[in-house]
Amino acid sequence: MSDGREEREEQEQRRKWEKEHKDPDRYHEEAPRDWERDGDRERRDSQAVEAMDAEVRAQSAKRTRRSFLIAAAAAAGGYSFYRWIDRSPGDQLIPRPLRKMLNFNASVSRGIFEDRGLAPTYPVSRSMELRTNGNYGLKMDLVPDSYRLQMVGVANAKAFPQYVDDVTAWEYQYAAKKDAGPVEHDTKVAPKADTTSGNGSKAKADPNSDAGAGEGPMMLGGPASTMSADGGDKKAAEVKMPPAFEAAFAALKKSQGNKRPRGQEEAGMSDNTLDPGTPGLLLKMEDVTSLPHRDLVTEFKCIEGWSQVVHWGGYRLADLIAKYPPERNPDGTLPKYVYMETPDGDYYCGFSLQACMHPQSLLATEMAGRPLAQWHGAPMRLHMPIKYGYKQIKRIGLIAYTDMQPDDYWTKLGYDWYAGL
Amino acid sequence: MPEKPLGGSDEVNPVVDPAAEPLALAESPQPEKTRSAADDIPAPALDDPAAVATPNPAPVVVVAEETRVPPAATIRLERKHPLAIRWMHWVNFPVLFTMIWSGLLIYWNDSDNAYQHPHAVYRIGVGSLTIVRLFPPWFWKAINAPYRVTEGLGYHFFFMWIFAINGVLYVTYLLISGEWRLLVPERRSIADAIQVTLVDLHLRKGLPPQKKYNGAQRIAYASVILMGFGSLITGLSIYKPTQVHWITSLLGGYEMARWEHFWLTMGFCAFFLVHVGQVILAGWNNFRSMVSGYEIVPAAKPSLEEERRTG
Repeated sequence: MSDGREEREEQEQRRKWEKEHKDPDRYHEEAPRDWERDGDRERRDSQAVEAMDAEVRAQSAKRTRRSFLIAAAAAAGGYSFYRWIDRSPGDQLIPRPLRKMLNFNASVSRGIFEDRGLAPTYPVSRSMELRTNGNYGLKMDLVPDSYRLQMVGVANAKAFPQYVDDVTAWEYQYAAKKDAGPVEHDTKVAPKADTTSGNGSKAKADPNSDAGAGEGPMMLGGPASTMSADGGDKKAAEVKMPPAFEAAFAALKKSQGNKRPRGQEEAGMSDNTLDPGTPGLLLKMEDVTSLPHRDLVTEFKCIEGWSQVVHWGGYRLADLIAKYPPERNPDGTLPKYVYMETPDGDYYCGFSLQACMHPQSLLATEMAGRPLAQWHGAPMRLHMPIKYGYKQIKRIGLIAYTDMQPDDYWTKLGYDWYAGL
Repeated sequence: MPEKPLGGSDEVNPVVDPAAEPLALAESPQPEKTRSAADDIPAPALDDPAAVATPNPAPVVVVAEETRVPPAATIRLERKHPLAIRWMHWVNFPVLFTMIWSGLLIYWNDSDNAYQHPHAVYRIGVGSLTIVRLFPPWFWKAINAPYRVTEGLGYHFFFMWIFAINGVLYVTYLLISGEWRLLVPERRSIADAIQVTLVDLHLRKGLPPQKKYNGAQRIAYASVILMGFGSLITGLSIYKPTQVHWITSLLGGYEMARWEHFWLTMGFCAFFLVHVGQVILAGWNNFRSMVSGYEIVPAAKPSLEEERRTG
């Protein structure tokens, strides 16, 4: 495409340009040549020059071959590394290397920050009603009078008037939802139904939506909405069990008083759900509301990516813990963890004791200056600005001290246990 | 911003220059002869300590006329990209890709059009006017993003370490090796960059002289390093907005930090497109040098080593 004239022009232009921009490093400038005198010699030299140029090219080719071989090996290594991660056996729904890294990150974070940072607070005028996202453990309204807070692992529990031999025997009363509230779509986990695309039509098919209305199959003693059997679980339901098993299962159910099984949501039952006969305290709301009342306006952050400034009112978890302190281990140390659960055991969270002692960890009873709505976790939920929203459990039914890292609903579904912000 | 080696590529300067003093051979033993650009290219390669791979001055044909420069190769190998830079460059490529991909898996969560809070942050618009929302459903479907958040988080918080460590090593290497001198924009880089861009767009002719990188490249490569630093800082401020809330506040708050993190990523994508386009245009010799480290250059071209040492 380029004829000689164009090139000459370009060279001319460049030479001019360079003269104008006097650059000391220029090297293109050629001394004027005497073509007639040089012609002969150049012809003689040209073969030698060509040979030497060829040698340079050969050198380059050799280096190039070697480098590309190494590059190919490195690429193969990198890909195997990715495959190794991706194909590793799962640890709570994510490949084990990823889970290990989440735990490593948590320990780095704890080591550096010690969870002591205070979240910024905001003027009340910036706050708004928190969007509702996830109604696990809230599928029915809880009758307020039937509310008790179970506390397990309290030091000297028997000395408290609220002590009972079996906290699990307490029966919470439920009622059909009066108001579903603005229940929204939860994107943290794929719905069980086969629609998994992220577009509009799915809104209707969202199996969580029935829960908001309070008319899902779970209300009738069936499985919770997200495990709805009209999806992929059909096959499982058709499997015939041996009669002996069926009989044993029926006996077990009967011994449980035909209570609704716990852990009916996707993550299943918690490992930390209390065994029948666990002694502890059954606190009434007055036991909590007698603590100093606090207000806090902080930014609530969901792992889905959204955030909102919310005005909370409630009581410091640290104050409750001070009032009902944990029983020390035989070696005199404090238990490291705290476990919380909804009354029906569907949703549960684990925390370090230290996170619970954080001055901004709040047992919230009010939002936006009003008592908590049922769908926000009445009568009492957790607000913990050092953690993502999925740790801020609604409708707390149980607070238990423990020395083993407790089970956690979203951890079981692939999320980080630590979730520290 | 072309990665083209300057020099019009086609014509390799005739090196054997009869007008020059004939004593190049006599001079050649001097190991550290500093080449001032003023002495116009007598015997290249031979006396250039940086011409690492110049073939052993090949059978120097001793010709009758002793007053002449013996023929020398017209080309030589320039050590363009040090080994460390090549490794870190190529490690960064899949790692940054993984960060962007896993970031998209996370971001999908907050981009679901169907619900009530569409795109509070990720959009192009002013106030209540939104011109473009990112991204459309077909895009998410095409990259199979829905409901893979945990995978996204897992990979993002794994590869962030590799991205950060690689970046820190890279900058450290630049500083220690002197390579930064070839990369940090100079006073004239802006004017050069404009010229280079105009030439690239075929609006003007005549590339300004350059050493390793032209002005546009210097600006682009320095910016992309700063962007990487920005991604780390905005990322940290999103990752630990309570513990490092002062950083988050400095960045304009949590949502601003997310917005910045997102647009830095879009910046990387834009950089990637231009970069790859320019690499393709610059051709094989240039691309190869990012793998093997060596570029074939006219023998007369001054070595980069001096610039590495002194700027």
